[in-house]
Amino acid sequence: MAPNAHHANRKPKRKKRIYHRRKVCRFCADTSMAINYKDPKALKYFLTERGKIIPRRISGSCAKHQRQLTHAIKRARTIALLPYVGSVELN
Amino acid sequence: MRRYETIFIIDPDLSAEKREPVLERVKDVIAQQGGYLAFIDDWGTRKLAYEIKKKERGYYLRFDFCGTGAVVDEIERFFRIDDRVLKYMTVLLDKNADIEKIKEEVAAAESKAKKAEEPAEPAAAQTPEEQTKPSEIETPEEQTKPSEIETPEDQAKPSETETPEEQTKPSEIETPEDQAKPSETETPEDQAKASEIEAPEGQAKPSETETPEDQAKPSEIETPEKQAQIPETQPPEPEVNEADTTPTETEEEIK
Repeated sequence: MAPNAHHANRKPKRKKRIYHRRKVCRFCADTSMAINYKDPKALKYFLTERGKIIPRRISGSCAKHQRQLTHAIKRARTIALLPYVGSVELN
Repeated sequence: MRRYETIFIIDPDLSAEKREPVLERVKDVIAQQGGYLAFIDDWGTRKLAYEIKKKERGYYLRFDFCGTGAVVDEIERFFRIDDRVLKYMTVLLDKNADIEKIKEEVAAAESKAKKAEEPAEPAAAQTPEEQTKPSEIETPEEQTKPSEIETPEDQAKPSETETPEEQTKPSEIETPEDQAKPSETETPEDQAKASEIEAPEGQAKPSETETPEDQAKPSEIETPEKQAQIPETQPPEPEVNEADTTPTETEEEIK
């Protein structure tokens, strides 16, 4: 009885077992990486194809650096280094 | 004193002579209001991320200066009136800037620039132009040129002494592969075959045009590296793909 009950309990639990990879903030991992609004190529990594800022839960950045990133991206948009909407190929 | 950084975009269709008055005006304003101009960065013509006044490109300039809010007000007032300037943005870099330190910085940068270009001795403002523009243009040239330059060199040299070297070196590199792989199991046979197939390529190429040690070596040495790297590089890529795809998915969900 006991093993069967155990088995029955296990099945529903197992159905939604998503594999989560531990994400690390890129700027914390590599302290030499600076966030600079004048460097659109580096910032582009944190934008979707449409030019939206990739959320923290997906990019894995820490709160501190995400804040700096958003700030830098918004500045870069202001001065036409990054698009507000749409994609831009950076040469 | 505060340290500011102003980036502004000038109409790219203006000639260099017509562009100059704008710079002069900004410099005058900074001087008038008791500011101190530290650096001028000339980024040259860049493609804009979006159209401004129907222009696809813009001439970027960055002014790094110290001063009070009055300087910024005056500069921005000028930019707003002047229609040669497409867009501008001023960023506060340092609230309590120490002018002496900045002057030292400037002096250090100038001495560096002079050392770098002693024979030419251009003005400090011109150096950034030369530094930025070539970097954009040269990179593709550099990529193409080496291939053009190498071949003539290689064609000339191999006739002398390189052919024997080619024969000896591949043999040195191949043997460790063969020794290492068979020791494992049957699978190495496939890898050994591959190494055999690759090696003739390396030998065949030199025989055709007698190209080169330089090209022959990498082709042989790289292959083991590539085999090793591929398994390493693949796992991280999916991560990136997830990151790229998930936002679009969420967007769709929201819609």
